[in-house]
Amino acid sequence: MNDRREFAREGLRSLGDASLSRRNLLAAGGLAGLAGLLAACGGSSSKSSTGSSAPTLSAADAAAAQGLTTIFGPGGKPGGAGVVVPAGMLLAMTGQGSFFGKVMSSGAKLAAAQIKAANGIDYRITIADHKSGSVPAALSGTRQMLSQNNIKILQTSYGAPSEAIVPLIAQNKLLSFNGGGSSPGQVGKPFLWQTRMIFGDDPCPGGLAWIAKTYPNAKRLAIIGTKENGVQGAKVIAPAAWAKLTGGSVVANEQHDVGATDFSSLVARIKASNPDAILTFSFGDDPGYLVKQLREANVKVPIMGIEFTAQAAKVAGSTYDSYNFATDFYDPTNPNPWNKIFVDGYKKAYGEAPEYYGANYYEEVFFVWELVRRVIADGGDPTSTTALEAALEKNPKFKSLYGGSAGTTGEVVFNPSDHTISKPMGVFKVVNGQPVKIQAIQKVAASQDPRQALV
Amino acid sequence: MDFQLLAQLTVSGLVVGATYALLGVSFGVIYATTKIFHLANAVPYAAAAYAAVWSSQKWGLPLLPACAFGLVAGTGFGLLIEVLAYRPMRRRNATLLTIFLVSLGISVAFPNLLQIVFGPDNKALPAYKNPTHQIGSVTISQHDVLAFIIALVLVVAVIVFIDKTRFGRSITAMRTNATMAAAVGIDSRRVYLAVLGIGSALASVAGLLFTTNGVATPTMGLAPTLTGFIAAFLGGIGSLRGAALGGILLGLVSGWSALFLQVDYGPVVVFGVMFLVLLVRPQGLLGKAAV
Repeated sequence: MNDRREFAREGLRSLGDASLSRRNLLAAGGLAGLAGLLAACGGSSSKSSTGSSAPTLSAADAAAAQGLTTIFGPGGKPGGAGVVVPAGMLLAMTGQGSFFGKVMSSGAKLAAAQIKAANGIDYRITIADHKSGSVPAALSGTRQMLSQNNIKILQTSYGAPSEAIVPLIAQNKLLSFNGGGSSPGQVGKPFLWQTRMIFGDDPCPGGLAWIAKTYPNAKRLAIIGTKENGVQGAKVIAPAAWAKLTGGSVVANEQHDVGATDFSSLVARIKASNPDAILTFSFGDDPGYLVKQLREANVKVPIMGIEFTAQAAKVAGSTYDSYNFATDFYDPTNPNPWNKIFVDGYKKAYGEAPEYYGANYYEEVFFVWELVRRVIADGGDPTSTTALEAALEKNPKFKSLYGGSAGTTGEVVFNPSDHTISKPMGVFKVVNGQPVKIQAIQKVAASQDPRQALV
Repeated sequence: MDFQLLAQLTVSGLVVGATYALLGVSFGVIYATTKIFHLANAVPYAAAAYAAVWSSQKWGLPLLPACAFGLVAGTGFGLLIEVLAYRPMRRRNATLLTIFLVSLGISVAFPNLLQIVFGPDNKALPAYKNPTHQIGSVTISQHDVLAFIIALVLVVAVIVFIDKTRFGRSITAMRTNATMAAAVGIDSRRVYLAVLGIGSALASVAGLLFTTNGVATPTMGLAPTLTGFIAAFLGGIGSLRGAALGGILLGLVSGWSALFLQVDYGPVVVFGVMFLVLLVRPQGLLGKAAV
């Protein structure tokens, strides 16, 4: 509510006249009333916040803290109690991708609160807004967090903004993780680690192998990509994999602007190319609009995507039940004990189930906690990012929300040579708007047969 | 040439173009009369969508009543901008540049306000059946047919209203010569309020047409507003027929460009055509040259 009042005050200032005439007061009152009206409208339905405060943990969350110490080890000195970790998040807090900023920050804030409740590190989060992909905003935001907040850890997102700050990360030895827009331009960079599979590039051979297996007559592939993420996958990896898998050809390879909502021309071109299958690297809400418009144009061939979000599913409605996607998808129903703690905590804190990006940024904070524990155990300085990265390189295995079983947590492994990660991947179908895993897949090298991607 | 593709792109272009025409007339009717570069037209576009979604979720209104509520709310927000921002500034002899800056500020602030209040998540209206029709090689959804008809009917209605009614002629008089119009007793405040109302209602309808086949998002109004002003300038400022024609042409050119080029070249072609048209006819296609 304070945010809303502040906003109303800003609006009043924008009227451009500081003198207090009766008319100005009336106008000011009207504008404040407008803001108040909006606030009243949203008050009952919105639980979202773009603030940076951590969620409050209730007494019931003591059980969660207990569960975490069972999984990760005790708090106190070995758990880094008293160690302050100034951390930054470079997220899309405004603009088209603001949903991602919301869920990413929610995940990280919950992790920070849970770790503190477990008597672990004091992970203090500052958030900078890259305005849904603006490189200048990313650079100034990161510089500001470095100079004013002295951040040592960074959780970044998106492809272009993260690539732009690579030099800043290296110069400042800013231990950074990207669980959002991983891209080839970020691979192998000092102090920057990817916590999701490379967008598009890693899962697309598996997705295509599944199409080739499920639809053996499919020979003509149409590829739809963007200029931002998954470019190499669309231009190089997918065409090569499709040729190896089917001996067929790519009959269309289209690109669209990120954030597009009108795909009518693109759909017409795709339809005219008469494909047997479609592979799309679209992300955000875009695949929702794309799939909806393809189906409304009577394009009935299988569509394989690279991402699923509930937001895109909302756009596509029932047409999304004909959509498949291949990715390192997060499953909130996974019975893995750490995942249960995460899901329960997230629902209590935010009133909704977590999704993929919330999970990734939550997990990253726990990677940092684990690194601090390891450095302390080895007698090192847990506030040194060099020591933390050395600990990561020494043992690149971490507990994970992904995979595992009812009795054990999952495991992810970083590759110290290129700073990428290996996570369980799968091909999913959508049933009543919800993803259902239908095939496990794995990353394969370009020289390998793409069929080996099917596990 | 692939004639099946041409037919599909033409139909798609006309559907998209009809919405552009709606936005062009919305922007044009406001700009031509008030001379305000009304970027805050993004407000009614988004406000109508959010009000419709909110009323359907809060009160359980079915789709059509929710849209009617959205239309009233969106138009109301447009009128509030006139009453609370533009009118006081005009009274104080603020320059058009200053008013434009306020309009720009509102257009930037409003999406943030929506995000603060409603959150960044997509908001959807109740689902409804949207069957697809096949006419030869061309497919078109029922929503697109309805959107096309609604947009064209509204555009024609506004043009007829302004051309044929007494109040419409007051708007024309104010647009042509505000000083002379005031001298013969035309109330400029009423006229400005009316054009903001008409323009905002058209923008609200455009926002609702979009949301009934998609979702409402905080930033949804910015790009369509810019499209509207491109259509208005392409067709000729001061001519509502021109703004409508500009919108239809934008849709068609954008669609037809996909005959020969990848779709991501569409904006390049559209702006290229606009550049060429304005190079030859700076007043726009149907605009009158300055004397």
